[in-house]
Amino acid sequence: MNVEKTAGSEDKRDCQVTVTSASSLEVQVEAGNKNLVEQGIRQVIEETAATLKVKKAKINAIDKGALDYVIAARVEAALRSVFPSTTSIQSGVSRIASKRGRPRRSRLYAPGNNPRLLVGIELHGADCVLLDLEDSVPPVEKAAARILVKHLLATIDLPEVWVRINPLSSYGRDDLAEVLRSRPHGICLPKAESAEDIDELATEIVRIEKELGIAEGSTLIMPIIETAQGILHAEEICAANERVAIVAFGAEDFTRDLGAKRTQESLLFARSMIVASAKASEVQASDTVYSNVEDEDGLIAETKLARDLGFDGKGAITPRQIAPIHAVFSPSKEAIEEAQKIVAVAKAAEARGIGAIAIGGKMIDRPVLERARRTLKLAQELTGEETR
Amino acid sequence: MKNALGREIPERIGKRKLRPFKGAFATTPTAQKAPRPQKTVKPGENKVLSSIEEAIEATGLSDGMTISFHHSFRNGDLLVNQVLDTCARMGLKDLRLFPTALFPVHEPLIEHIKNGVVTRIEGSMNGPVGAFVSQGGKLKAPAVLRSHGGRWRVVEAGDIKIDVAFIAAPQADPYGNANGIKGKTPCGPITFCTVDAMYAEKTVVVTNNLVPYPAYPFEIQQGWTDYIVVVDEIGDPESIASGTLMITRSPTRLKIARLASEAVRASGYLVDGFNFQGGAGGISLAATKFVGEEMAKLGIVGGFAMGGGTRLLVDILHQGLVRVILDGQAFDTAAIESLREDQNHVIMDPGQYANYDSRGCSTYMLDAAFLGATEVDLDFNVNVNTHSDGQLLHGIGGHQDVASGAKMTVITIPTLRGRLPVIVDSVTTVTTPGEVIDVVVTERGIAVNPRRKDLKDRFLAAGLPVRELKEIKQEADRLTRPPRKPIFGDEVIALIEWRDGTVIDSVRKVIGWE
Repeated sequence: MNVEKTAGSEDKRDCQVTVTSASSLEVQVEAGNKNLVEQGIRQVIEETAATLKVKKAKINAIDKGALDYVIAARVEAALRSVFPSTTSIQSGVSRIASKRGRPRRSRLYAPGNNPRLLVGIELHGADCVLLDLEDSVPPVEKAAARILVKHLLATIDLPEVWVRINPLSSYGRDDLAEVLRSRPHGICLPKAESAEDIDELATEIVRIEKELGIAEGSTLIMPIIETAQGILHAEEICAANERVAIVAFGAEDFTRDLGAKRTQESLLFARSMIVASAKASEVQASDTVYSNVEDEDGLIAETKLARDLGFDGKGAITPRQIAPIHAVFSPSKEAIEEAQKIVAVAKAAEARGIGAIAIGGKMIDRPVLERARRTLKLAQELTGEETR
Repeated sequence: MKNALGREIPERIGKRKLRPFKGAFATTPTAQKAPRPQKTVKPGENKVLSSIEEAIEATGLSDGMTISFHHSFRNGDLLVNQVLDTCARMGLKDLRLFPTALFPVHEPLIEHIKNGVVTRIEGSMNGPVGAFVSQGGKLKAPAVLRSHGGRWRVVEAGDIKIDVAFIAAPQADPYGNANGIKGKTPCGPITFCTVDAMYAEKTVVVTNNLVPYPAYPFEIQQGWTDYIVVVDEIGDPESIASGTLMITRSPTRLKIARLASEAVRASGYLVDGFNFQGGAGGISLAATKFVGEEMAKLGIVGGFAMGGGTRLLVDILHQGLVRVILDGQAFDTAAIESLREDQNHVIMDPGQYANYDSRGCSTYMLDAAFLGATEVDLDFNVNVNTHSDGQLLHGIGGHQDVASGAKMTVITIPTLRGRLPVIVDSVTTVTTPGEVIDVVVTERGIAVNPRRKDLKDRFLAAGLPVRELKEIKQEADRLTRPPRKPIFGDEVIALIEWRDGTVIDSVRKVIGWE
């Protein structure tokens, strides 16, 4: 029996690794700038094989300028498909659990099996990065993708990184078992439709956290609501589990499910439903992505709408969308100054035991004061994030 | 011997005693400019010849002589190959080639080197010729690479005597006036070789477009031109852009460009009268675009923008963001058209903008410039000439001249190209010394040369991500195993001259791998 399995592609920044069984370890490397890079690539391949305890295999690599973690992931994926009993590599990464309420103005999506689009994903200042194993990954690449994501998580330092797994009914359990080894800050569940969906995911996460010795509760959950069922059950989804820190809206699937055309009007009910459900459970709400990457004005307009509806952030499908999204969701200098004034006046009034306060003859009631405090808190957190 | 940067260079090459690099502005010329034989053409004399072959005969070109060319057609040049094929057919041997630059289109030159038609090259070699020469043992003497200004200087100083200059001219008249911006196949200014036309023993203008007297502007003047030859084709204008003109779409590279423009804004130089060099590579082109947008936003009117001319610079001129563009070359048709039609788009030659031994260079008037690099090292030295495997890769272009002049020279580089680190401990070859590099902008932050604490303070005050070059390097190095390093032998493949004619580095043959 001579099985041959391949992982990775010959696209830029990828490395295609083909494994066949052999009587000893043979490594062959094809690469541009071969004189310069062959030795390094060979080391990565040999070390990965050794970690997986594979001693008999022929490994062919065609490198297109891949980073080390990509090569290691491709080798692991190909070796494990030839030798299915091989145990998955533990990445040994440690990560500080993320806080529930930290600013999440942007969620940057990145396709989980495309090394070229993953290069530099940490460089664009996204509040959260979402590595996708679902829609952007075709079924034949699911296994390689989750291994690649695991290796990326173990190598690339990101302020907050989530993995969008497949639904638990398809590849989701395998996704979880693999990527939790590298301890993402959170797991993003697509097509969430009920509290049971969240419970099921949470139970699975608890089981794997225990198995891997991860502190229980450190992995957050982000349901994506993108179906009619999901919208109608938004409240219970948000309230289902304390791990749910943020809920996201997926407009493309939602309008398809409804048979509706995507307009701001057709999305209004869903958006408002999500925001109200989220806020009722002290969960953040993140708006759907804006898919026309060339139309920055449209992006800004839609982001402002989302902000005004109560969303805390918005999805981005390219790093170019991050700056405009952040600009909309960050309090302006004027807003911060105004909020400082309100809070100061309120504090002074409180000290003097005065109940009702006013600025320039305008009454400052409780909700206004609360909003001012929220603005200052966000501003403070953003400054903190940027100086990290 | 070792030069001021500690680079090992030969004492002499043949009869030429080499002068080691001492510093960016350390030398002072003492000699007179080179002479050129006087000659009188009397009224009624014919200067038009019918073929390249006839021109070769008329000029008396013979074995061992030096011939020169310009590269304004870049990878679309058809003249170098035509002339060398003709020389080969006529049995000429042992020629020294002195082009402003060679490109992949000149691959047939390899045969002429093998057959001994060409035995020496002084000029940059982009592509297959560079790779071939890098194998060693191909030429009778090491190649010599010079900047635009350095090449002008060496001709003017008489250290290179050109026997015959062949000048591809998109438009010429029967008396030898010629230009590069008109005709059927315009390529932009052909002023790289103005100095060749002025100092060569014989100057031959080769055109595919002979027009009635006078052809103007007078980039090449009748008083310098011995002969005019009309041929079918001199260049393919479709190829002159050679793919350099796409603004990058890579988020990483756009981030570098954005940071570079923010560095310019924070530098204090971005005020009315701001003069800058616009780049033509992907990152510098984007940086130039962002700086233009910044100027528009701030309501700043710059002084001049220096090319290579591009559509982008022309747009910046038309928007009134600069008063004038100064161009020694043009990278696209929009720039060429603008040179024809807009008197605020001005042609200049390297003697004007880049010559060290002169009474002033336009590059010295620059506030900011964006330049690329193959490698940058922790001393801020830049390599644009060789690949990390030691192979000759690119010419110097105006890199040294611009970096020496601009008040703020910004190197825009990604930290990795594929698996290869761009920031290294010590560059494979020094093209431009760290003392004239002010800022290195990468996707992982901005590094400022310790000599420019003033800039560092300004960048920090503006909240820019200023980091040590070493720290940026370490962060990138974590992503790939280090590449192997070549081991260099004794054979010198090429000399890299500094603008003043001193030798800043030598390129040696690779004999193995560490």
